[in-house]
Amino acid sequence: MCGGASDLRDKWKEMNKEEQTILASKIGDNNMSKKYGFVIDLRKCTGCYGCQSSCKMENKVPMGVNRATVFIKDAGTFPENKRFFLPVLCNHCENPSCIKACPVPGATFKRADGTVLVDHDKCVGCGYCAAACPYGARFMNPATGKADKCTWCVHRLDAGLEEPACVRNCKGSARYFGDLNNPDSSVSRLIAESKDRIKVRKEEFGTKPQAFYIIDNRTKLDVE
Amino acid sequence: MQVSRRVFLRYAAALGGVAALNKSGLMTLKNLSPSEAEAMQTSMGKYEVKYTADAMCPAECGMEMWIKDGKIAKIYGNKAVPMNDGIACAKGASGQQLVYSPYRLKYPMIRVGERGSGKFKRVTWDEAIDHIGKKLADIKKKYGAESAIMDCGDVTDRDHYYRLFFAYGTPNCTEHGSICDTPRRHGPKLMVGGKRWEPDIMRPQLVRQPDGSLKKDYTYKSKLIVYNGWNPFVATRIFYESRGTVGAKVENGCKVVVIDPSYSNTATAADMWLAPRAGTDGDLFGAMLRYILENDNQNDPNKKYINWSFKKYSTGWEDFDAAFKSWWGKKDPINGLSYFSLDWAADRTGLSKKQIEDLAHLFGITKPAALVWGMQSPGHHYNGYCASIIGVALNVITGNFDIPGGVIDTELVKSDKGGSATGKQFKSKKVKRMIDGKEVEGEVEHFHMDLFGSKYPAAWDDAVADYPNAFMEGVDVRYGPFRGYHYPIKAYILRTGNSILTGSAPYKWKDAILAKDASGNYKLELYVFIDSLNLESALYADVILPEASYAERQSLSDIYPSHQVIYNRDAVIKPLHESKKPTEIMNMLARKLHELGDSDIKGSDFWEKYKTEEDFVNEMLAPAPGRVNVGTPLPYPQYPEGYKLIGTPESLEKGEVTVDDRNKVVKGKPVTVEWLRNNHGVAIWPMSWYRYKKHNADEPNKAFPNTSTKLIEFKFDWADGGKRYGGYKSYNEKIEKAGGEVPLGLREIGFSKFPSTFFWFETKWNPYTNPEYKKYAKDYPFQLICGRVHHAMSGTQMIPWLGEIKTEGTWQPMNNEFEAEVPEAMPMGDEPMKAMKMKFKANTYAVGTIWMNTDDAKKAGIKNGDLVVVENPLGKSTKGKVFASGGIRPGIIKIGFATGGRFSEGLGPAYKTKDYTPSHNDLVDPDVLSPIMGFPGYADMIVKVKKV
Repeated sequence: MCGGASDLRDKWKEMNKEEQTILASKIGDNNMSKKYGFVIDLRKCTGCYGCQSSCKMENKVPMGVNRATVFIKDAGTFPENKRFFLPVLCNHCENPSCIKACPVPGATFKRADGTVLVDHDKCVGCGYCAAACPYGARFMNPATGKADKCTWCVHRLDAGLEEPACVRNCKGSARYFGDLNNPDSSVSRLIAESKDRIKVRKEEFGTKPQAFYIIDNRTKLDVE
Repeated sequence: MQVSRRVFLRYAAALGGVAALNKSGLMTLKNLSPSEAEAMQTSMGKYEVKYTADAMCPAECGMEMWIKDGKIAKIYGNKAVPMNDGIACAKGASGQQLVYSPYRLKYPMIRVGERGSGKFKRVTWDEAIDHIGKKLADIKKKYGAESAIMDCGDVTDRDHYYRLFFAYGTPNCTEHGSICDTPRRHGPKLMVGGKRWEPDIMRPQLVRQPDGSLKKDYTYKSKLIVYNGWNPFVATRIFYESRGTVGAKVENGCKVVVIDPSYSNTATAADMWLAPRAGTDGDLFGAMLRYILENDNQNDPNKKYINWSFKKYSTGWEDFDAAFKSWWGKKDPINGLSYFSLDWAADRTGLSKKQIEDLAHLFGITKPAALVWGMQSPGHHYNGYCASIIGVALNVITGNFDIPGGVIDTELVKSDKGGSATGKQFKSKKVKRMIDGKEVEGEVEHFHMDLFGSKYPAAWDDAVADYPNAFMEGVDVRYGPFRGYHYPIKAYILRTGNSILTGSAPYKWKDAILAKDASGNYKLELYVFIDSLNLESALYADVILPEASYAERQSLSDIYPSHQVIYNRDAVIKPLHESKKPTEIMNMLARKLHELGDSDIKGSDFWEKYKTEEDFVNEMLAPAPGRVNVGTPLPYPQYPEGYKLIGTPESLEKGEVTVDDRNKVVKGKPVTVEWLRNNHGVAIWPMSWYRYKKHNADEPNKAFPNTSTKLIEFKFDWADGGKRYGGYKSYNEKIEKAGGEVPLGLREIGFSKFPSTFFWFETKWNPYTNPEYKKYAKDYPFQLICGRVHHAMSGTQMIPWLGEIKTEGTWQPMNNEFEAEVPEAMPMGDEPMKAMKMKFKANTYAVGTIWMNTDDAKKAGIKNGDLVVVENPLGKSTKGKVFASGGIRPGIIKIGFATGGRFSEGLGPAYKTKDYTPSHNDLVDPDVLSPIMGFPGYADMIVKVKKV
């Protein structure tokens, strides 16, 4: 397999820019039938920030910025006080406002499988997309100067690994990832089972987030 | 164009949809078999996957590390390990920042200034080993080998060092457990011969099915878990309790009760949060027990609390019951109320009668249930033993001990390890000493400073907090053959511990280490510090040795699963800088001592025997799993019940064994490092429950638990048929042989010997339960408690990613602006980390904070973020910023354990914030050492708070 891998690298290097562009635009085509979705079971979040650290480890995200994080809110007075955890990441919206805001065609795009990505080669770092995101999911990466955000660890998905690093490492087993088109996937089953307990963040913006939350009477989505 | 791995992966993925490329032959990548895919995933970036464990944290989860070019590139949980089931928490995933930290100890050093000045010179390993060897040889000659203490701070990898020092001739070897939570473990140790009681929520479990096959079972059985002073979501020692608690809740409707004066992260999952006064855990447990005994009605399904079948598997209940009830007739001097009544408990705990009654009823009626108590409750109070003992009784009489979904003594069921590698056998070596002009012979073991010393002869986990006294005054042997012998402590070897900061009050430790004799020499003649980290305790050392980090050395994890599991902590990269592995350090020191003429140290026991660390680990693995074939379903129905099992799961399953009927042992092929490496790093043997009874009959199996009668024991010292039994028996025999001389600890609480069944005494520095301290309540209106924030301990405070995390009220982004060098991830290239100087803006980086109730703060004119001084009645104080919230009981102040005041530059960012972060330990009373185990009363203190 190692040989195969280096062959591939050589082939890529031999291609001209146009061929490479064609290839890049086809990304996700092999997953045409797939539509990825993310489910966070808030009842199981232990507020540990493992998602944030795992993301930093996996994606080498610089200090001070995060692709995935947790909002924590302490509220109320003793003994009726509460603490809410809200793990957040890019919602990979079906109707993403960030793409509309981007002035450079193709600098941010949505793959056929629903993953919203930034093409770092095209991004000019204007920050419009970050301003347009109602969830604050995008930021300007201090190391690259380009827009940055959660990719659902697309490099892992494309290598055939089944889940993003934050799902892989989630301490409460509160995070799920998979194919919404497959009724037997964990995400489809959870969404079906949870019915009206399934919510998305800031529904009023109409972006149709594809990160879904399972909530109960003890958990909250508006804790920012 | 340089093709990054990411682009390459995108390319590879795109291939499937690009028919034109079919001709290129690259389509062979499509439709891989699962094994090909796995090989591809790891080979594409030339990653090598290694299975190891996360010993940067006491949970020691099983890890999968991806290595690229000899460096750690990725960290995930090992999916084959049931402790963490493939998960890595925030700490685990941040390991690169510890391993590649610029603050690590890099080379050996010898002190050049005064102790504590922090002035050292770099030396070679040979020079350092020579220095230590000569000192140790000299000390042994002048004072005897027992004058050396080997304190292994961390539990993991202690065995190499223990082995060396047992062979050298001292029994005084200890580890972290001794300053962790000994009173908490007391009840289990005394009553079942175990240690840690945890809810049965480790999933998956490997369970024998009726058809004989083994199945990974993920189903939760628990219906109620009561956590008292135990916060698994944050202090993650028993890692599965995070996903297990929320899993049992969501998937099995399990109710969760959290008892904690502060609203912990675990409390966020609680159906009931009770916030009592500090140090009243035993009061609450006692009231629960009395309520259950008084209100149990076997004919009323709503009051059928007790499962009386426990009497078949236990002994001494009548004695315990009578002793417990004898207190009901007494009036407590603090409130004039009958002990353990609801009124009494309400008055002392500050909870309402109804809350206590509801809890007692809920626990009594719900099955299966687990009542567990943690480090921050019985563990850290002077009288924690009482709570721990009542806790065991509550679980046992309600029928919850070792049932599916109940509570498990994880010490009793974890895999055995260590074997002869630990060097225990060296402790039985005969030695002679002159006492009062007479030559007396005993064994090395009989010098043990606690077990045969004048203070805590039942301190089976050692009394580290008493070491400063031993450095100053030496050890008086009062029990055993060397009774009457006195010896000084002259050498202190501290490895991966930080006793100066955390082994009770730092000032007491500093004073003892700096103390000089009449001629101006340090009383403690040798102090060696061994670690990967440059902690405060290093500043006071004479010699510093850099040990390989957890990812660079191999051993076995110290873990507490619900059945036998063992995994290899492989060395995944080579030791960085000049650091060395414990095996090598042990061998180097052994060889040096041998060269210097120490005939107790032989090559055949050390450097000739252990050529590699793998040799050592293989010897440690030899006894695994070492537990008896008991419980339902019987783990191995093909072997006799009650026989000890040794060998790989594979060989036991296949019947590749010898059965020794005389010694009742079934022996398969030994577990080895090689076997583990070929099995995802882990060996797992089957789970069973009801391990205290026969699998096919309601009678004891005489093989479990690990007590003198192999029954659960409610009495602790008794004679029957000319034989003596019980957990305290041997200690009372020591006292009797010494003419009734009462050890210091027992004298403090007015006992003349170790009690024969239930006992009770009050804690210290608690004005609400102990009349002696009532007078302080007005001037010191707050009780001070502490709690672990596992990602804010020494090693983890060096990790900046964890500084970006906040936790509860004791670890909050309240920093002043500071600049520090930190390891930063490199987005480009393959270098995992690079040390960079970075500026941290105010309130962006988490630091240790002082948590107090909002109303208390308001009354004192204190706002969130204000700098305050916290002072105790001993005149000691610490400074820090306040985090005020409704999430803490009024009258309580909480500070994270060792989160602040970190005065070693080796802590990196934490050092930069030391002037406004609190050190809880500065407020601990070093003279409050709990009477049986000599354990510090870390959470027995009262304070006042003043705005700076």
